[in-house]
Amino acid sequence: MTMDDRRHDGPEEEREAGAEEEPAGEEAAPEEPTAEEPTAEAPTEPAPEDPRGSQGEAPPPPAPPPAAEAPTQPLPPEPRRLLRSRSNRVIGGVCGGLGRYFNVDPILFRIAAIALALIGGAGVLLYLAALVLVPNEPADATAQPPAEGRSRALTIVLVVVVLLVAWPFLLGGGVIAAGVLFPLAFLVAAGVLVWWFVSGEGPSGDAGDIARRAALGIGVLILCGVIAIGGAWAAAAGGGVVVGVLVIASGLAILAGAFLKPVRWLILPAVTLALSAGAVAAAGIDLDGGVGDKTYRPASAADLQEKYQLGIGDLEVDLRNTDLPAGDRPLAIDLGVGQARLLVPEDLCVTTDANVGVGQIDVFDRGTGGVDVDFVEQLDAQPATTRLVVDADIGLGQLSVVHDPGDIRGAFHRGSRDFDGSIAGEDNSACLDTGSSARG
Amino acid sequence: MRADRPDVPSVVAGIAVLALGAVLLLDATGVIELSFGLLAPVACAAAGAILLASGLTRRT
Repeated sequence: MTMDDRRHDGPEEEREAGAEEEPAGEEAAPEEPTAEEPTAEAPTEPAPEDPRGSQGEAPPPPAPPPAAEAPTQPLPPEPRRLLRSRSNRVIGGVCGGLGRYFNVDPILFRIAAIALALIGGAGVLLYLAALVLVPNEPADATAQPPAEGRSRALTIVLVVVVLLVAWPFLLGGGVIAAGVLFPLAFLVAAGVLVWWFVSGEGPSGDAGDIARRAALGIGVLILCGVIAIGGAWAAAAGGGVVVGVLVIASGLAILAGAFLKPVRWLILPAVTLALSAGAVAAAGIDLDGGVGDKTYRPASAADLQEKYQLGIGDLEVDLRNTDLPAGDRPLAIDLGVGQARLLVPEDLCVTTDANVGVGQIDVFDRGTGGVDVDFVEQLDAQPATTRLVVDADIGLGQLSVVHDPGDIRGAFHRGSRDFDGSIAGEDNSACLDTGSSARG
Repeated sequence: MRADRPDVPSVVAGIAVLALGAVLLLDATGVIELSFGLLAPVACAAAGAILLASGLTRRT
């Protein structure tokens, strides 16, 4: 149907009036729409059902509605209602209805519901409540277009409200689940941040991208853990020079890559290697002497070694039944990681020069601890008395000098008396009350 | 392949790692005696410089 045809399809009165008013010639009727000159009567855009709209032909005009179907009054807009979805449902359509109501992906509500179901069971209760209270969508309802203008802030507020409501349930029964999920969430977040730092790919994109980056970041973390253990072990086993050279080589590679092709992925492993080896070196951990527990009970001065050494473990030197002549007896203790116990008789004067990287030093009834702990106590022995000159070096652990094993206290406590300003304590009575004492 | 401009975070990180390696090597050879009192400031300075350079570069 063309526009000319349409002109002659109208009522008879219109045709007559048009014939009177219409000037002769098509040029004199600019108000008449043509295919090339669209007007308000001829829509510029084709109708959706007309595939020829872009072909240059004018779309057919809509047929005049029958008088009986013409609306007499505009209907008031219906308020939006929260309904359970029929087309997008897994169980009861609650999450699908929420997603359509708030114009967000229903999968977010499903994840929140599952999370709340695992943590205390609040998700189950909330879902059941919604299943009862929220009506179902009518069977003949068509899909409603999502409302525009719903901001993300509204969704966040909704989630916060749901969490606040569910908080008693979180406290009630989800301790075990939270103990698993929270560390897992922390691990994923750490993986995303690590990968962000390593590659520069931030936490953007869809869930698949974020999961991929989190997995790669966790892989980098695991790699760094392996490097840290290996570097610490190498440094403690005497390979400090090798580790230092490796770190310097890594630094040179990173520096050269900055001008050629950046190798940012090497930064984190190199720093991890340097810090782990540095911590071992700072603590003075030395694995010489082996691993395990060792106990020494020399019977005489001839059996007493000048140095007792152990890499990792508990080292005990029991001198309570050792026959020692008067005079000075040097005793060195070198322990990498563990606890060193020195048991001495009450008639033995003990003077101590000890260093602990990280840990505790207990000499009779006094103690101190922390990081880089140094203690020097130079005491003079009474006449005709044996003086034991202790030189202890502990990397990570505790040194205890006691008369009785029952006097050994736990690590990282404060002794009953401070080292500062005190000379021979009550339990070190074989020494004279002269000398010096200091800690650091 | 030569980059048009040097990667600033890599430059800073390379220097920081070099400094850490030098400290380790000096300790291993007995020139200095490393302690936590020395390691902690060096490590914090190195990590801070790397993070600062990385963050500033990403911001710009």
